[in-house]
Amino acid sequence: MLPATADIKRLLAAIDGATVAEEALGVIARVPLAAVNEALGAIKAAGYESLVDFDGIDTGELIELTYRLRSFSLDLEVHVKSTVAYGGTIESVWYEYPSALMPERETAELLGIHLAGHPNPKRLLTTDGVEPLLRKDVAIRTVEEVKAR
Amino acid sequence: MNGGSEETLATGVLGEGRHDPGTPPAGLRRAPAGVDGLTTEHLIINMGPQHPSTHGVLRVLVEVDGEEVVAAEVSVGYLHRGIEKLAEYRRYDAVGTLLDRGDYISGMMAELAFALATEQLMDVEVPRKAHWLRSLASEINRITSHLIWYGTFGLDAGGMGQFLYGMRDREALLDILEALSGSRMMFNYIRPGGVLADMPTGLDAKIRAFLGTFDQYLDEHDQLLGGNEIFQARVKGVGVIDRSTALAFGLTGSNLRGAGVDFDVRKARPYAAYPELDFEVPLGTNGDAWDRYNVRMAEMRQSARMIGQLIDGMPEGPHMAKVPRIIRPRAGEVYASVESTRGETGIHLVSDGTEHPYRMHYRGPSLFAAQALEEILPGHLIADVVVIIGSTDVMLGEIDR
Repeated sequence: MLPATADIKRLLAAIDGATVAEEALGVIARVPLAAVNEALGAIKAAGYESLVDFDGIDTGELIELTYRLRSFSLDLEVHVKSTVAYGGTIESVWYEYPSALMPERETAELLGIHLAGHPNPKRLLTTDGVEPLLRKDVAIRTVEEVKAR
Repeated sequence: MNGGSEETLATGVLGEGRHDPGTPPAGLRRAPAGVDGLTTEHLIINMGPQHPSTHGVLRVLVEVDGEEVVAAEVSVGYLHRGIEKLAEYRRYDAVGTLLDRGDYISGMMAELAFALATEQLMDVEVPRKAHWLRSLASEINRITSHLIWYGTFGLDAGGMGQFLYGMRDREALLDILEALSGSRMMFNYIRPGGVLADMPTGLDAKIRAFLGTFDQYLDEHDQLLGGNEIFQARVKGVGVIDRSTALAFGLTGSNLRGAGVDFDVRKARPYAAYPELDFEVPLGTNGDAWDRYNVRMAEMRQSARMIGQLIDGMPEGPHMAKVPRIIRPRAGEVYASVESTRGETGIHLVSDGTEHPYRMHYRGPSLFAAQALEEILPGHLIADVVVIIGSTDVMLGEIDR
């Protein structure tokens, strides 16, 4: 179920530049990168006890991060989005939401960003030297290229 | 042992909200060895990735103090195939072939999540029969997957017979899935707009024949494994995941319901034919391995109940909406989730209006269960590690993707 956008706006009132809107994805709060932890802390305090998903999207200009938060007791869901430049650094949110531990590692390695404040910021799925595979400038090999190897 | 090391070995800290800023999860901590000159040195055991009880290629670095686990680090990625990247190069009707290889013993549900996400960006009305066939395929697939878990969980705890009996029933169900979809495991049956094929003539009788014996077989399964005193001693009170830990680590499915949290996507966000079906959501109380065992056994009964209702009430009509040969959903960003065998499988889909997804993120519930192991394993005996991993029913295919 979707929360009222006014409720989320009220939670994020102290954050400069935060916007809240209802879109096809659901209710989305967009916050500056530096305020992600503060925003998630405020939303968690309002009863959103679980981060159920985290991923990143290469928009072609930067990386868009999506945190999907859920309150089981209130039966509500909200998305928090922020953006980071290629090769930029994001602050881990594991302190608020331990479920972010592995998804953050995965997003960092597959989209080529760095993690700060993470207790175990190692690669999760690939080995050292593998390009950030989910970046749009990394293409998969064609059949011909594979055959030619 | 001094006071500092006691604190270092504490478990369950994160879940109870008493953690200090900057303190890593219990499983990642390294306890000091021989702090008072009397304790034995800790041993780090590398378990997996090629280990029969790791349910695929899970690797766990376990640090033990004698028999007791003091720290554990879960290492994954040995099965990474780049499903999310490959999806950006597939047409929408072909992405299901990739998702089948995510959670490869219950692929129907991931296919369904992707179809539901895609349909949100299409102007299409999915026929009622397709909804029913989707639920039918999902529930049959859920039982096949739970039977694998049942058999292998028993193996983890030292049993053997239950695996053979579980496989016997699973074979019958795989025959049914083959008749329905054309494949036993890699289906690509549920497509945006409906399902690939209608139910063949005579399959309903075959399913009814299976259901006629399954309840009794399930009683036998439960008696064989759950009724075994040794098995009970291995799982009761072991691997407790309480409510707060389950929520903190994003657990869903049987692992969450075993902790008593009443959340099932089929009830909370109804999709396919589930709003029309009569079924219950089994819950545990303590969140230990025994609760998770009982929840999954009860889920098989509920799935069989739903399959009976789906066969009896199967509507007439088309099984596929009229969709273009090449699907080009409108540009947009959506999220769809379903209750898969292991929890909530989610698809975060971004379309740019072309015939390929711009970005597809696949949320596998096992990833969250695997990272919770780092918090749960410390404090247990080394022999409990395989039982706890088995009780969380992780699937490496959907962790690594």
